[in-house]
Amino acid sequence: MKKYLLAAGAVLALGPNTALAHITLETQEAAVASTYKAVLRVPHGCEGKATTAVRVQIPEGVISVKPMPKPGWTLQTKKGRYEKSYQLYGETLTTGVKEVDWRGGNLPDEFYDEFVFRASLAADLPAGQMLYFPVVQECDGAAARWIEIPAAGQDEDALENPAPGIKLLPKK
Amino acid sequence: MKVAPFPIRPSGVRNKPVTGCLIAAFVLMALLVLPGRAFAHAALVAADPADGSVLMQSPARFSLTFSEPVSPLVIALVRPDGTRLALTSFRLTDRTVEIDNPETLKSGTHVLSWRVISEDGHPVGGSVLFSIGAPSAAPVAGETADWSLRAAIWTAKLLLYAGLFLGVGGAFSLAWLAENRRCGQRFVIGALLCGLAAAPVSLGFQGLDALGAPLGRIAAPPVWQTALETSFGWTALVALIALGLALLSLVGPRTPRKLLALAGLIGVGAALAASGHASAAEPQWLTRPLVFLHGAAIAFWAGALAPLGLALRYQPAEAKVFLRRFSRAILPVVAVLAASGIVLAIIQVQTPAALINTAYGRLLLLKLALLLFLLTLASVNRWTLTAPAEAGDTEVQRRLVRSIGIETLIVLAIFGVAAGWRFTPPPRALAIAAAQPISIHIHTLKAMADLSITPGHAGQVAASMVIMTGDFGPLDAKQVTLVLSKPDSGIEPIKRPATKPGDGTWRVDNLVIPLAGRWNARIDILVSDFEVVKIEAPIDIRSE
Repeated sequence: MKKYLLAAGAVLALGPNTALAHITLETQEAAVASTYKAVLRVPHGCEGKATTAVRVQIPEGVISVKPMPKPGWTLQTKKGRYEKSYQLYGETLTTGVKEVDWRGGNLPDEFYDEFVFRASLAADLPAGQMLYFPVVQECDGAAARWIEIPAAGQDEDALENPAPGIKLLPKK
Repeated sequence: MKVAPFPIRPSGVRNKPVTGCLIAAFVLMALLVLPGRAFAHAALVAADPADGSVLMQSPARFSLTFSEPVSPLVIALVRPDGTRLALTSFRLTDRTVEIDNPETLKSGTHVLSWRVISEDGHPVGGSVLFSIGAPSAAPVAGETADWSLRAAIWTAKLLLYAGLFLGVGGAFSLAWLAENRRCGQRFVIGALLCGLAAAPVSLGFQGLDALGAPLGRIAAPPVWQTALETSFGWTALVALIALGLALLSLVGPRTPRKLLALAGLIGVGAALAASGHASAAEPQWLTRPLVFLHGAAIAFWAGALAPLGLALRYQPAEAKVFLRRFSRAILPVVAVLAASGIVLAIIQVQTPAALINTAYGRLLLLKLALLLFLLTLASVNRWTLTAPAEAGDTEVQRRLVRSIGIETLIVLAIFGVAAGWRFTPPPRALAIAAAQPISIHIHTLKAMADLSITPGHAGQVAASMVIMTGDFGPLDAKQVTLVLSKPDSGIEPIKRPATKPGDGTWRVDNLVIPLAGRWNARIDILVSDFEVVKIEAPIDIRSE
């Protein structure tokens, strides 16, 4: 019991801390072959500077991406060819959004904001594994790159700028 | 080339000028064809596999890159169980030695032991440790000093100096200064024979030292072949010619003896200028002539001592002319000796602190102390004893003889100290080695980098990186960051963005590495906006 309390205390002490420092996704688990609403939480600027752009790279297997427009920000997407074709509601998809780009806004370091997009997770994504969405946060003359993906066996906490990710759950 | 100022009397030279000129020309040629460029001890700049690295697979070849061109002598691999494998198949391209690995290495720590000859003629050795799979206890590489060989090298060198300075110098003084050349002739011939024996023996020892072979292998042909290929081969060869010419001036025909003796003296300077630390120093146009003058002046002074002492002892009447000529010439000769010695010492030692901090500097101090004693004795002789001795005061002549005897002993001691320099790299070479960059090669599937830190010791440094893809292709990185950390020291990682000067490298200037020791170098390569590759490897930073 005591151990459990200590562990819980440690989670409370460390957990939010790391989460606060990084750009993370609000929902950190999702089943494959389901629709996922990604909410990117931007807790601060880069080195104290105001955030002026948030760019997300869409990983392979995440299809039919629809970003949510944001007042004060210009929304753009970069489309490209998928590595393979995907079936979605009887349709075959071979191309789609590869990058989402909100820019032209101004989010001061002391404020918090969220950036949202919706997507389908392909049925053949490997359940049980992590799926990462690398994010580049641009500020005036600086950038923070949340793009590090842990190598096999590497502890995610050891990374300085981890990419936000979700755990893939089995198909419901 | 002016050797040493002394009264030249043209009579006697005119009789057979052709033979004499030929000999002199030959000695001068030997001096001129010496290797033109020479540097200090070569230092290992990079090794593949890098020192301390852990490899997953047995490499097909090894490579060693040096700061200067070298000739490889012995390269061997010591396996984890301590057995030794001689690596005989290697190629030399510019400053890099590529060595084939004939076998698949088993897991464990291996030692790549190398021995090369640098251009000053002195062999340099070292070893690179690497492991296959995982490190194990390092095997013993067996790179220890062979003290019996060192003693033999030192003794042979001392005898060679005695032959060159006392023998050839003695023959010169007998030919040019003495009236009666029988006095001291036996001593001089003895010294010459001593030198004639010591020159080839020295060469053999040089070969043994070059190959790291024990004394017992002195008769093996590769030992001699190796020795001849070093710059000391020239020293031994020219010394033999000089000794032979000097001997000829004593026992040969009477007419060309002055010229033979002069050619011998020139040969002494040439032999010394052909190899050794001082001759290898930059600038060459200055150091080689200075070593030449220094050597010739020593031979003039030291060579005259014994014949002069013996002449004063046994033929006081006839020795007067000898004494007068010697004392007239000696001041300018000592001036040349001191001036060349001082300039060479400044070039070699560089900073006053090195006099005390390095073995080379301490030997120099010892030599200077002996020299001070010698100069005191010599000036007492010159200014208080010479005049009454010339006038025929027998008591003073006896004192002068005793004093000259002591001078000869001190001169021998100085030769002994100078022979000790054979084993000590000069501070100049140490400084060059300290300034050498440290380079490592980091290779992963995604990217590889060559990182050099210049100079390779703690303090203010600059880092230079060449980045490539894992398969040696170009990698146009958007950003490169160097992160140096030393987890065991409690120092926070030093993180510096690199700049791109436009020559294909990435640089970090004004970097300060606060501590010597093993650091972890990590290079963060931003391949694209969303992809970073981090590669890392340990790097050993020397203390200053």
